[in-house]
Amino acid sequence: MHAAMGNGAFIISALFIILYTVYAVWQPSALSVSDLTDFFNNTLPLAIAAAGGTFVVLTRGFDLSVAGVISIANVIMATKIGEGPVQALWGLVLVCGIGLLCGAVNGLLVSKIGLQSIASSLGTMIITSGIALVLLDAPGGTVSEFVSYGLMDDIAGIVPITGLIAAALIAIWLVVKRTDIGIAVYAVGADETASTLAGINVVKTRFFAYSIAGALYGLAGYMLSAQTATGNPNAGNPFLLQVFAAIAIGGTSFRGGHGGVVGSMVGAATLMLLQKLLFTAGVSSFYTGLFQGVIMIVAVLIAALSSRFSAAGAR
Amino acid sequence: MTMPQDDIVLDVRNVAKAYGPTVALRDVSMQVRRGEVHALLGENGAGKSTLVKILSGVVEPDSGSITLNGQPYRPRGFTAAQAAGVSTAFQELSLLPNLTVGENLLLPHLPKSLPGIVSKRRVFDAAREILAEYGGSDIDPARIVETLSLAEKQRVEIIRAISRHPSLLILDEPTAALAEPEWLFSLIARLSAEGCAVLYISHRLAEVRRLCGHSTVLRSGASIATVKLTGTRDAEIFHLMVGVVPDGESQRADIRSLQTTPPALRVRDLAGNSLRGVSFDLRQGEVLGLAALEGQGQRELLRMLAGLDPCRGGSIELQGQPVRLKSPGHALRTGMGIGFVPEERKTEGIFLGMTAEANMSLSVLDQLKRFCLVDRSREQSRVAAEARRVDLDERYIPMPLAALSGGNQQKALIGRVLLSGARVLVLFDPTRGVDVGTKQVIHRVIRNFTAAGGSVLIYSTEIPELVKLCDRCLVIYQGRVTGLLDQPQFSESRLVAMATGHSMEAAE
Repeated sequence: MHAAMGNGAFIISALFIILYTVYAVWQPSALSVSDLTDFFNNTLPLAIAAAGGTFVVLTRGFDLSVAGVISIANVIMATKIGEGPVQALWGLVLVCGIGLLCGAVNGLLVSKIGLQSIASSLGTMIITSGIALVLLDAPGGTVSEFVSYGLMDDIAGIVPITGLIAAALIAIWLVVKRTDIGIAVYAVGADETASTLAGINVVKTRFFAYSIAGALYGLAGYMLSAQTATGNPNAGNPFLLQVFAAIAIGGTSFRGGHGGVVGSMVGAATLMLLQKLLFTAGVSSFYTGLFQGVIMIVAVLIAALSSRFSAAGAR
Repeated sequence: MTMPQDDIVLDVRNVAKAYGPTVALRDVSMQVRRGEVHALLGENGAGKSTLVKILSGVVEPDSGSITLNGQPYRPRGFTAAQAAGVSTAFQELSLLPNLTVGENLLLPHLPKSLPGIVSKRRVFDAAREILAEYGGSDIDPARIVETLSLAEKQRVEIIRAISRHPSLLILDEPTAALAEPEWLFSLIARLSAEGCAVLYISHRLAEVRRLCGHSTVLRSGASIATVKLTGTRDAEIFHLMVGVVPDGESQRADIRSLQTTPPALRVRDLAGNSLRGVSFDLRQGEVLGLAALEGQGQRELLRMLAGLDPCRGGSIELQGQPVRLKSPGHALRTGMGIGFVPEERKTEGIFLGMTAEANMSLSVLDQLKRFCLVDRSREQSRVAAEARRVDLDERYIPMPLAALSGGNQQKALIGRVLLSGARVLVLFDPTRGVDVGTKQVIHRVIRNFTAAGGSVLIYSTEIPELVKLCDRCLVIYQGRVTGLLDQPQFSESRLVAMATGHSMEAAE
């Protein structure tokens, strides 16, 4: 129990369940399949983006390029991808590939050339946002119905497709976490010198983290397009701060080496749930940011206090 | 008697290494034979750590040649060095704090169950075997390294190096944090019987004499001599290392004068965590030693006195006034002030990125202010004066602390504490990982401090140091004081006996 108390993912999950229970008591329809599907649909883009960002934060880096990659993905889906499943698949491959490319560039700049991640990813963010604007200079375009209706649906009226995607991502993460490269990501974030002395290839590990983050941002942009059904060159902008907020309240430390994807995804869900709660309560949307900020501080505080509690008990 | 050539495991000839304008090694040559335990002696700054890095494959030499088992040895990286048969346990521990002991021991070859998936169970099983093989079975391989004590971490670091079955094992200050070095000594005896060559780096001459036959002495980047330890006196070795014969005399305070002054620090029934009721007086002008095995409560005691941990029972009186210490800053400012030198300077004491000067002036910044801004000239003169007192060369003052050797960093840290004006010093193993010359300086500083009326409580894992330096010595065992020895009763064997829980009489 002590160890669990110090685990950030555990805390945010508990917080999320409490909030959802409050929501369900208030709005009994909250537990219906259509409501749940809506919730997953709205949350998934942020959750995937936060998952991507987590890889980088674990290596003690910052990746600001999430905003630009998501914008490019959205713009491409709305203007270059046609109807039907084949095009939908091609779209997926294309945007994830572009994200992967951007991530690889970030990875090279940080791991091989040795630039500070916050500065270099700021640069790639500005470049990618610029590219999105070149591709589509004003909101417009349409995302194919196969994507925007199909993916936002549920299977047999029970399981939301987006829920399945989230579950699949978590399953993949739990596997990656137990591979050499997954363990290396944690090691590099904690102590680069010790990692080298332990035989870990630090350059390769960092490169992997940034690349996979980029690919996940592409996927997040894909799911965002499915949800909004339209293109917007600034679609990724709100994600920048929200991704870091989700990662922070999910229990991943910005000092590197601690945390994980599950916490970040639940963190994203908590932020979105809060938005939904406030909306349902009739609070003006202008107050949303205020409440989200307060919740964020409270969550980080709880995480810090209980990790101190569990560490003190362990001694 | 000449040894057959194929008996030589390591042959270093005329190795040199410079970092830009700084020459770390000028000309180093040495040989280590199969089964030999060879010591490497030298002050901090003499080039020992650079030589260790070269032998471990972390850096490449500029010139010279190294042969390992008859083959040319030029590893490109730590992993290559390991593959060639060289294994190192570093002084600045190189474990990954957020991973488990098992993972640290087995990286980078973690056992897998399915392709690519690391098997936790197999990692722990394999790690448990390794730990049991080398006397570490009390350490749970599932524990995260961060939660281990310093001594446990050091043992894991050493076991990790040995478990790779090297032909050359390099141990850099391996006993610095160990309270029971016997474990290591028997391991070394076993390894050398199996033919493994051991390069042993330590400042503790007694240990070195016990374990090693020959020693190479480094000074200013060159190998000055290789000596046979049994035929060479300590003074000669110091002379080789330092170039001067150091002051071996210890002057202890006059006991009579100590008894008439009121105690600087009075501790009564202090309790909390593993501390179970400790009481003692620290008299003004006294050096009170603290001897204890690993984990007997001394850490909690020192941290409580420093204001880092709250006391869960008992009382502390500073010059007769009861105090509740809320933080180290509060401890510094209360009454005559308690200054603390922590256990691990790398993580708890020094600011590597800041200059030595900034490190030292940190605790008295508010005294150096003029109109809310730090008065640089006042800072510089105060720091320069203190640096002279701790024998820190003035050219080091404006340099970033990371560029200084461990001994100089420790001097800067002590300079900071002295500068703060505290009259009571609590020192947690201040000479850990520090060379002979610096150790002398620190002892002299402590002596001068108490001669001027200050009081010192010093914990050291080196019993001979306590015997030499202290007026009285406390022994703590299982959270309680098991004895308080006066100077005439001092002896190493008595202190060790009491530290392991035996009574004074049993030590006779």
